[in-house]
Amino acid sequence: MKVRGTVEFRDVEMGVWVLAGDDGRTYQLAGGRSSLLKEGQRVEIDGEVDEGAMGISMVGPVLRVRGYKTL
Amino acid sequence: MRSGWWMCVLLLAAACAPAPGRTKVTPPGTARAAAVPHALVVDFRDGTPAEEVAERARRWGLSLHLNSVEGARSGIAIADGVDDVDAALARIRGDAAVEEAEPLVQLEALAFTPNDPEFPKQWNLRMIHMPEAWERSRGKGVVVAVIDTGIAYEDHGDFVQVPDLAGARFVPGYDFVHDTEHPNDDNGHGTHVAGTIAQRTNNGVGVAGVAFEARLMPLKVLDRSGIGNSADIADAIRWAADHGAKVLNLSLGGPGYSGVMERAVAYARGKGAVVICAAGNAGTGQVSYPAAYAGAVAVGAVGPDGQLAPYSSWGEALDLVAPGGNTRLGPGNGILQATIDRTDFRKPVLAEYQGTSMATPHVAGVAALLFAAGARTPDEVEKALFAGAVSEGAWTPRAGHGRLDALGALHALETTGPGVDWAPLAWSAALLALLLLSLTVKTRPGYLNVLLNPATLLPLLLSTVGLWFLKLLWQRFVGHPPPAAEVLSLPLPDWERILFGRGRLASPLMYSAVVPAVAALFALKWRALRPVVAGLALGFAGFLLYAAWAKAPGIAYLPFTFLARPWLVLNGVLAALVSRAMLRREAQR
Repeated sequence: MKVRGTVEFRDVEMGVWVLAGDDGRTYQLAGGRSSLLKEGQRVEIDGEVDEGAMGISMVGPVLRVRGYKTL
Repeated sequence: MRSGWWMCVLLLAAACAPAPGRTKVTPPGTARAAAVPHALVVDFRDGTPAEEVAERARRWGLSLHLNSVEGARSGIAIADGVDDVDAALARIRGDAAVEEAEPLVQLEALAFTPNDPEFPKQWNLRMIHMPEAWERSRGKGVVVAVIDTGIAYEDHGDFVQVPDLAGARFVPGYDFVHDTEHPNDDNGHGTHVAGTIAQRTNNGVGVAGVAFEARLMPLKVLDRSGIGNSADIADAIRWAADHGAKVLNLSLGGPGYSGVMERAVAYARGKGAVVICAAGNAGTGQVSYPAAYAGAVAVGAVGPDGQLAPYSSWGEALDLVAPGGNTRLGPGNGILQATIDRTDFRKPVLAEYQGTSMATPHVAGVAALLFAAGARTPDEVEKALFAGAVSEGAWTPRAGHGRLDALGALHALETTGPGVDWAPLAWSAALLALLLLSLTVKTRPGYLNVLLNPATLLPLLLSTVGLWFLKLLWQRFVGHPPPAAEVLSLPLPDWERILFGRGRLASPLMYSAVVPAVAALFALKWRALRPVVAGLALGFAGFLLYAAWAKAPGIAYLPFTFLARPWLVLNGVLAALVSRAMLRREAQR
């Protein structure tokens, strides 16, 4: 699936990178290149939501990133 | 009928005794008293002039001075450097100007202040009254499983033990991610969480932990990035319960429901363990899983100001809030603990984090204190946690039952006894007297005739206190009671909370006059049922009215929390009217 949104860093737990999606949901970003992780960067991410994933961040569903393009 | 009046007054008085855990009183035994040597205190009659006090001092040969500015009015004076306090007191006590004289007593708050150099920065531990609670329990021997990224608990290969954990007690754990018996931490999260639970304390190093005499069981279910799957987590929950853990700390979660994990939580609870979970950091009104499962205690986070932290999730499943930090208020407002560096797991650091993950281990630690202080079941632990929490009354979706308080929880455990709340029965008995008085003499049966009729008494007991003895007998003679015995041991309105999942909120159908009203329909046809329905309805009325008075609990599906009490009162009155109709003498003929 493809999701558009803004990359943000959230200072909870050990710190976590999220995509504040234009669909109103917050996705925890997993995988992908480090160039993706820039505060405020507008992107369209190609990836899959890992429904079974759980973790320490608890900010929203885990989005496994395949690739992305900047907007 | 005069005896009915007396009965009514007595029972009302008994019923109006403070509801357990609701009214805040200073717990006894929080101060230690010791006589100050060579000193005494004299209380002169109010309005005794200073000259008279000075004259007495000369006569008694004491250096007597008024205690404070207030002393001129209150007449309280103290003397020190007294060689023989007893002899001096004997002289003073006979004096007409003296109201009271006694040895001076020093009151010292009973509190344990550990010598860990960073302890003064741990506002979170003071917030939940740990120094006072440590005088009562330190969680000795209780096994707490930390189901997380592992713990930096041993020197093994590349891994190092965090110095402040040296001497902390561990039991064998497991690494479910790599399938090894060395659940070391390669992230830093699990070690931070474990530190809050049972950090080595009073060792002159670093920081303190809540239950520092408890034993930690490291279970690694999350990888280096802090992510894992429901299968590993469910496995770890069962593993912990099977290996003697009494408290399970899950500072993790996700939005996806998993039946496998929900059953694992229920399994652990059935084995006698409490399962404490983080409510989530999405900052929304939806508690994440596993915290939202029935059987788990969901913990939200507050900052040092006591306000719900902006990141903390909340909602219908929330049970408690605990200090989780709020770094928006500036540095020093997170939760400080010893752990490993998040970029280099060989490097020990003191780190300040915020999150519901940080709040959860405070509750897990206090749960360990409660088990060590004599709690036997998850029910007793949860009851004490909730009753001892600092709250403004009723359960709310943003605070649950209130803010965790270690001292309050230990005090609640001591005062609630074996878990039977007799107040609803007392309310019913008082209500019966009122109902009988509202009937005309001709239609009024005798008070004791009603109360001691087994057909009425049994349903009355069932709907107010449940068959409480069933569970106790089972525990004593058979072992762990089956679900049916657990259910029957509860008051009837609470049965569905066991049958259909132990929700936090009571069902509006069971906490209503529906059951007695339906029973009354049958009694219209079969008159023999009427004494039974009378007892049942009377029990419901007492139970519901008491619940309303004690501000417990929240009712599910009602649009606003504040509607809970009017709902309980309305239904309590309806049930009372049903009972009254069934009690009338001609009705039972």
